[in-house]
Formats: sequence, structure tokens, C-alpha cells
Amino acid sequence: MATIANPAADRPHPRRSILSPVATLARRRSQLTVRTPRELFVPLLTPILFALVIAPALKQALHTSAAYESFIAVGTIGLLVPLNTMFAGLSVIVDREAGAQRELLAAPVPRPTLVLGNLAVAFAVTAFQITALIVAAVARGIPFDATGSGIAWFLAASAMFTVGMYGAAETLASRVPEPAEYIARVPAIAIVPWFLGGSLFPIAALPIGLAWFARFLPITHALALMRYGLLGEAGGLRDIWGMASAQTMARLSLLVVAAFAALLTAVSVRTFARSALR
Amino acid sequence: MTNGPAIEVQGLRKVFPSGVEAVSGVDFAVQPGEVFSLLGPNGAGKSTTIGMLTGTVAPTEGSARLAGFDVATEPLAARRTSSVLFQDPVVDRPLTGRRNLEIHARLWGVPSREIAGRLEEIVEAFTLSDLIERPVATYSGGERRRLEIARTLVSEPTVLFLDEPTVGLDPRIRLELLDVMARLRERNEMTLLLTTHYLDEAERLSDRIAIMRAGRIVASGSARELIAGLGEQLLELRVHGDPGASLASLARAGIAGRDAFAVGSTLIVPARGRGADEARAAAASTGAEVLSAVQRRTTLDDVYLWLTGDDLADAA
Repeated sequence: MATIANPAADRPHPRRSILSPVATLARRRSQLTVRTPRELFVPLLTPILFALVIAPALKQALHTSAAYESFIAVGTIGLLVPLNTMFAGLSVIVDREAGAQRELLAAPVPRPTLVLGNLAVAFAVTAFQITALIVAAVARGIPFDATGSGIAWFLAASAMFTVGMYGAAETLASRVPEPAEYIARVPAIAIVPWFLGGSLFPIAALPIGLAWFARFLPITHALALMRYGLLGEAGGLRDIWGMASAQTMARLSLLVVAAFAALLTAVSVRTFARSALR
Repeated sequence: MTNGPAIEVQGLRKVFPSGVEAVSGVDFAVQPGEVFSLLGPNGAGKSTTIGMLTGTVAPTEGSARLAGFDVATEPLAARRTSSVLFQDPVVDRPLTGRRNLEIHARLWGVPSREIAGRLEEIVEAFTLSDLIERPVATYSGGERRRLEIARTLVSEPTVLFLDEPTVGLDPRIRLELLDVMARLRERNEMTLLLTTHYLDEAERLSDRIAIMRAGRIVASGSARELIAGLGEQLLELRVHGDPGASLASLARAGIAGRDAFAVGSTLIVPARGRGADEARAAAASTGAEVLSAVQRRTTLDDVYLWLTGDDLADAA
């Protein structure tokens, strides 16, 4: 057969911004998510129950002050974020097993954009759920004491923690073959650290060995920062760092949570790229 | 202007981490506008070859270029020129057909202002108007396949990969899709690489066919050339007893050569000027019990069975 001109080689291939495919992938993921409302609301149920029912009941039974309700309300965010991001990770497995993942892999877009598109939606859904939790807590009469800078600390901590936890979820989803296997590992990643990370009580109340272990958990730093931001109290930061300056401790903890987010995002992108290719 | 093959594959090899060598070093080139089929049984390496060309399987060795772009060193440019229809359904079922097409268009960089027009054209061409606003989960298997084929064309690819496009479909839908695929080659000098184990499909659609067996290409050429390799006429003998032994008897009698083969209890022997009666007599003289013997034209099926089956002549 005679060789003829190759039309593709003449076609211009302009460099595209990475934002365009990420926006397309995020929109796709959000459309898939809103078609399964359980992804939006189920992760919210347990934290809401903790914040609005269990915490007030504990306050009454243990004769603690209103501050304990506020303490728990923030602590439940430490449960909400891992639960929601783990749910989001499950959709990666669904995509791989019964969805369009291979079509996306064959698309002319950098592979990290596939992870970033999912992350953007997990982040937005988590933000919605945290807002819903706080609004419900305020409506229940649970007091918060937040300044402008306090809200900034809270937002930074919850955002970084969400990004890091989604990285963990995406990494796990890329490594395990079956949804059942994934779900079996969720408690170890989402729930056990929550009990140890100062969610229901300060880590100083833990046995010394476990208290030291808790200091290395990103959730401990994230919750301490969130309480510093929303409640204006630095007790959690002091339990970790033992310093006098709350600002210094907050910066150090934010650094830990930011490093967690950066590391887990990098690991998730790398794991996805390696596991998606057979 | 760049001249050259639309698909160029050299020494492509894939060994999976389990140690299975799925593709053992294949070489081929497909010219622009050509329809090239990879035929072979399950596990021959056809889908893995497509996977390596589309960037979903990492090659162990070798190189491949699509429209001049190396799939390993220029992956985005290579993927931009191509589109793929996967063997299994690969589609977002909860989303509508239109949304599935639109996502493809955006990921493949179709300019926003062109997307609506291009989708309308494709929806009309593939008679998807009644389906396109419905979630894909509500489609039948044939409708979903039609949508997936339509989706591959949204980005107007230069190279289109169709991996077992009609597998599992009922005969009517299969014939409809074959018509659709026959029309594809009229579009924009598109190059098609098709994998299938339906021989009529390959014969009907392809300019050239390569037959794969155990990760290697064992023959390639047009359907006519491949058939000529076995001869225009065949003798088909149904025997009682061990077909391998009967084949060996025919070989000793000078009737069967190395290109004779057996499928179950049927021996297929290139005629080479001999008639069915001569073969029957020769077989009977060696003690083989011949139940029937006919002479007929060679088909692509015979070539396929010859090239992908066990070599009983050697075994015997």
C-alpha cells in the first residue's frame, strides 16, 4: 500500500492547561456523586449523632460543662473527614471495576489529573458536610468562640487534613482489588486514630505510651488546630508540643498536617499511576 | 508534512508481573487509512497489544508509534491522535449518553464551541436521538455498544482501536454494528486496528489481517493472501479413532504435508490437486476408518484453525 500523508502529524497539538481536564474530571465525579446521595449524607450521620446527641448526653451524665459539647463537636469533624474521604475512595474502585476508568486512562491528559479531579470533589463534599455539622451544632446551642484568624486556622487544618485523608483513601483504593477488602481496612484508617487523636478526650488522658503515639498522628494535630481556631483554646496543642506560645505550636501542627497532605497526595498519585497501568 | 505509518510497532513485548508473557515481540505497521485486524484465540495477546498502544498497559520491551508519536516518550500526543473501544463496557452508567460523549470530547481537547455540533452530528449518524438523554444504565447491550463506538469518534481520531467490538452481542445487533464499522473507514482516512475472533468480521472489514498465537504474529496479509498460503481447495476427512494417528498415516502416504491439521475428529488437508476419493483411499489403505471425505474451498476459518491450533502433524 502506498504511503500517504499522515494527517495527525500535521494537526496542531496546543499545550492545554492542567485545569481544564481537572475541571472536566471533577464535574464528572460530582455528577456521579450526586446520583448516589448516600455518599453525601451517610458519612454525616454518625458525627451528627455524636455532636448533637451523644455529647449532650455525656455532658449530663458526667456533669461536665457546655465546653465539653463544643470539644466533642469539633472532635466529630475528626470522624467525619476520614469517613467521607474513605467513602469517596470506594468510588475509585467502582470506576475501575465497572466504570470508565480505562477510557480516562486512554485520554490525552496527565494521569495525576484523574486523582486531582476526584480529590476536588471529595474536598467539596467534605466542606459541605463540615459546614452542615457546624450549622447543626450551632442550631443545637453548642457554643463556639471563633475570631477571623481562628476561622482561618480551622479552615487550613480541616482542608489539609481532608486532602491528606483523601490521599490515604485513593492510595488504598489503588492497592486493593475488591471493595470488600477496602471496606475491611476502613476502621483501622478512619476510626482507630480518631479514638486516639484527642477527639473525645485530651490525649493527656491516655497512658504515656499511647499519648506519645497520638502525638505522631496527623488527626491529633488537625483536631488540636481546629479547636484552637474554633474554640480559642490551645490545650490540645499544648498536650502535643508543651510550649508556651500558642501561635508557634499552631504553626508547627499546621506544618505537620500540611506535610501529611502533601505526602499522601504524592503517594496517591504515584500509586494510582503505577497500579492503573497493567 | 510527515509521511509514515499510522501505527508502527517494533519488538513490542509484555511480561506481566506474574511472569506470564502475553506478547512476545511483535512487529507490524499499519498505513494511514488502512484497516488492520489482529485475529487470534483468547490469550493470544491481542488486547494486551492494544493496551500497550493506547497507554493502558506498560510495555516491557519494544516501541510503538501512533501517527508518528512514540507512545512511551510522547504519550499525550499519541493518545490525542487515537481513540479506543474496549472489549468490556467502559462507560459511566449513571450518566446520560450525552454526558458520556461530552466528557470524551472535553478530555480529548475538542474546542468547547465545536462540542455541541459534533455531538449532534454523531447522535444523528448513530441514531442515538431517542437514547442520548437517558442514563446509560437503561441501555440494552447493543445500544450501549453503539454509544461507545459513537464516543470513539467524537474526537475525530486518526487511529481507532476496536477491541472485540461485537463480542457477546446477538447476531442482529452484531450485523448492524458491522455496518456501522464498515462506514467508519470512510471517515477522514481513519486508520482502524481491530481485534476479533470472528473471522467473517475480519474478512469483511480488513485490508490486512495478522493472526496471533501465544503472543506472536504467526502470519499476516490480506484474507486472499492468507488463504492462498493453504491452497484454494481442501480435503476434509472425518475419521473414526485417533485423528493424530490418521494424520500421520496420511503423511506417510504422501497425502498430507506439514500444513495438514485436525480439528476434533476432522482432518483438514490441502488438496494440492488430489481429490477426496484419492485421499479416502489412501487413508483407508493405512487402516484409518474414514467416515466421510469431501473437497471444498479454503476459507479464512481454515487458515485460522491451521495457524492457531496444535500442530498434530508434528505431534504424530
